[in-house]
Amino acid sequence: MNKLMLLAVILLPVIGGGIAALIPFKNRKYRNIFLELLVLAVSAMVWWLLFHRPEEVFRVVHFTGDLSIDLKLDGLGMVFAGLISALWPLATLYSFEYMKKERHERVFFLFYTVTYGVTLGIALAGNLMTMYFFYELLTLVTVPLVMHTLSREAVLASRKYLYYSLGGAAFAFIGLIFMIVYGSSIDFIYGGVLDAAKIGERGGILLLIYVMAFMGFGVKAAVCPFNSWLPQAGVAPTPVTALLHAVAVVKSGAFAIMRITYYSFGTDFLRGTWAQKAVMAVVIFTIVYGCSRAVKETHLKRRLAYSTISNLSYILFGVVIMTPLGLAGALSHMIFHAVMKICSFFCAGAVIHKTGRNYVHELNGLGKTMPATFGIFTVSALGLMGVPGLAGFISKWNLAAAAVESGDTLAYFGIGALLISALLTAVYMLTIVIRAFFPGRDFDYKTLEGTADPGWQMLLPLGIFCFFICLFGIYSEPCVSFIIKVAQGLW
Amino acid sequence: MRESVLLMLPIVLPVLAGLLLLLLPEWKNRKALCAFVGAVLCITGTLVFANIAAVSEESPGFILFWLTKTLPVYFRPDTMGKIFMSAVTVVWVLAGFFSFEYMKHQRKEKRYYGFYLIVYGVLAALGFSGNLITFYFFYELMTLTTLPLVLHTQTKEAVMAGLKYLFYSLSGAYMVLFGVYFLNRYGDTLTFGGGGVLNQSLVSGHEQLLLVAAMLMITGFGVKAGMFPFHAWLTAAHPEAPAPASAVLSGIIVKCGVLGILRVVYDLFGADFLRGTWVQKTWLVITLLTVFMGSMMAYREKLLKRRLAYSTISQVSYILFGLAVMEPEALTGALLHTVCHAFTKCGLFLAAGAIIYKTGKTKVDELRGIGKEMPVTMWCYTILSLTLIGIPPTGGVLSKWYLCIGSLSGNIPVFSWLGPVILLISALLTAGYLLPLTIQGFLPGEDYDYTTLKKKEPAWIMVVPLVILTVLAAGMGLFPVTPLQ
Repeated sequence: MNKLMLLAVILLPVIGGGIAALIPFKNRKYRNIFLELLVLAVSAMVWWLLFHRPEEVFRVVHFTGDLSIDLKLDGLGMVFAGLISALWPLATLYSFEYMKKERHERVFFLFYTVTYGVTLGIALAGNLMTMYFFYELLTLVTVPLVMHTLSREAVLASRKYLYYSLGGAAFAFIGLIFMIVYGSSIDFIYGGVLDAAKIGERGGILLLIYVMAFMGFGVKAAVCPFNSWLPQAGVAPTPVTALLHAVAVVKSGAFAIMRITYYSFGTDFLRGTWAQKAVMAVVIFTIVYGCSRAVKETHLKRRLAYSTISNLSYILFGVVIMTPLGLAGALSHMIFHAVMKICSFFCAGAVIHKTGRNYVHELNGLGKTMPATFGIFTVSALGLMGVPGLAGFISKWNLAAAAVESGDTLAYFGIGALLISALLTAVYMLTIVIRAFFPGRDFDYKTLEGTADPGWQMLLPLGIFCFFICLFGIYSEPCVSFIIKVAQGLW
Repeated sequence: MRESVLLMLPIVLPVLAGLLLLLLPEWKNRKALCAFVGAVLCITGTLVFANIAAVSEESPGFILFWLTKTLPVYFRPDTMGKIFMSAVTVVWVLAGFFSFEYMKHQRKEKRYYGFYLIVYGVLAALGFSGNLITFYFFYELMTLTTLPLVLHTQTKEAVMAGLKYLFYSLSGAYMVLFGVYFLNRYGDTLTFGGGGVLNQSLVSGHEQLLLVAAMLMITGFGVKAGMFPFHAWLTAAHPEAPAPASAVLSGIIVKCGVLGILRVVYDLFGADFLRGTWVQKTWLVITLLTVFMGSMMAYREKLLKRRLAYSTISQVSYILFGLAVMEPEALTGALLHTVCHAFTKCGLFLAAGAIIYKTGKTKVDELRGIGKEMPVTMWCYTILSLTLIGIPPTGGVLSKWYLCIGSLSGNIPVFSWLGPVILLISALLTAGYLLPLTIQGFLPGEDYDYTTLKKKEPAWIMVVPLVILTVLAAGMGLFPVTPLQ
């Protein structure tokens, strides 16, 4: 029974989303209620699964030999599935109000809901083949969302997104082939599945393949130099940028890298090799590069997208430390960054929705007319900076503690990069806050007439995220100790 | 239990009162607003002193909550914290009362008082924090909550100065955080009060790494303390902030950096670990450079408040020099100078504020004859100047005496005599940049037109805090209570 649930949570949003698009709802409200209930039901099922975890693997389809579609819920998958299923209902609620002003709502919600199922598929994948399948599918179902407005930029952005993602997946596919040849199986087993007898003298090649697979999956995680699709994809409606381009899609990339590093190649094989050094150098560079570009960018959503690039590399930095502590740091930043970034994106979306302003220099004085939105934005900004007492401090602490523990000189530079990036985060986030609340002595508030905080459908998710940013900051113990167990392979 | 409640009250009360002010709509009655703020300041001040008197050295302290499994937010008032908090309380309450008159014509008074109270609570937490994480926590909060005080006037220059202050402070804080990560790994605990927490078996082989971490932490806290080359925010922020805000900025906020360094060097790394290393030598060079450079720049500066800001840079590095020498006498001198400079510089900024408030003049050259117009203010200014220069029998002479004795008794080659020499040269420069205002003010010269003089002495609520600070600063030399053993 439990096993079937694994498949059900993937299929339900896919089918339900399709049905919602087919039924000719008379009223937008009924459709919204239907969708929200659907998404809530899926999330409830996922959380039920988290507490009643099916131990065994559920084999959906068996192609030939090792190749099969397997579903399995292990520790790492639990973290990702839990995260996704907590955010999706809130994001859906938010998009009801946001999408009022956009066209083609029906298509939007179709793909938005289908994506939920596909992302869960990545989280629940039991072997490399299954993950690869859902990973490709994710690219395809999210393209229409990026293209949504059908403007010229949107079409260009989605084309770029498609090419980048497919190209990356091709490299990842090479990794899959090598795993089939040199691994004892392609299942995800903590510690890796490489078969030393099969490798023999070919260790060097496999390291090269690891770097290729890392960069391939890294395209979705926006590793430099494959990051330019992400800021451009910001033309999509805000619920897409917030949920998919700050959490679901990009973190699928990070999640896939965690899988191949810890569950396929194995850290014992990789630790201390040139491959580790190479990917760590790339990641450290991306951390600094992302936030430097964010400082330079004046378009609000693109600035946040660059910030995401930098923060995703925080996660990858934890991954490539290649110790259980490093993975724990990476997972905690994956969760906390998701909450903080979706919160700041939703604030940006609220501003765009209510005022139509897109650029940072247009935000002067809005703190007075939209106090709740900018108050919450301030909290998320401080969280992203890593001010103690908020979520970001805890995850950065875990990352840095893992880096110190590893004793690797390059990792020390990584800590330096984290801190430089924290300073730059302060620059690009707090300048917005100061503009909003301290617009200057002679600012004329009359220019802001008609702007106000958004309705409850937008404010409620914002409030919940803000609450969790504070809660994780002062009480993260159960969450972090669970993550540490997962990272040690105990789940 | 009772102790922990007592400990929490001076932290929670002003923060809550401040938040209340920020959230409430604009008050119609200005008097009521001032009365409310004044009452909160006085009650909090009393609570702080009650803590200082009631909580003993052996108190086990109080853990508020755990940030993670190994990081408690922990409060324990020890001697250093108590000294710091007494200085904070005196300065904060007096400058608060001063601002009731000064801020009369400023916009958004309520916001100013709101943040002023919040910062007081944060400072109480900072002073009473019992481990490095708690200290760092409130150190960052302090930076963020003082920002609105700096850019209060919201002119373009003020906002830019505020941003400069913010980014300098944050980069300092992140340098500190780098060191915190390593201390957490190589130390047994991050709790203050042991005289060194490094675990020798872990440290061996990684000494250079930890020295780098120590240097970064000293530099990081040094940013707040205006240490060269990270002093530029002081001279940008002080002239732009309202006078009472610059008074507390110079009197107290920069001292938080000093307190941080004190904690890091004496409580965590331990003086023995750093004595004689390249860290100590580099640090000594930087402090002496800052002492000299600050005085020289102050000497050249025309704008009164910026001149005082340069003076702060120089004087705070006296304190840092005392810490860097790592001798007991020098440490005594440094602590004395911390308190003495807090009172003196706060007083000087209040005097400057009173002058600006009444005359609107900001440059030293414009202030001929000011002593005839505002005699009480100028007398206070003069006495405070003498204190800062270190002329007996004022407070300044005592601290400088200890600083020099400490330096000479240490056996660091060259620095043991070079230090006192530079301190004395700087004292000379201090006289050079502070006393011209007195001379011009009281002796405007033959050609001065006495008929235009008007009595401009400010209201009593501005004068009284100034007089109290003057009495305290000067009196420290006459009655050298020595609770510093």
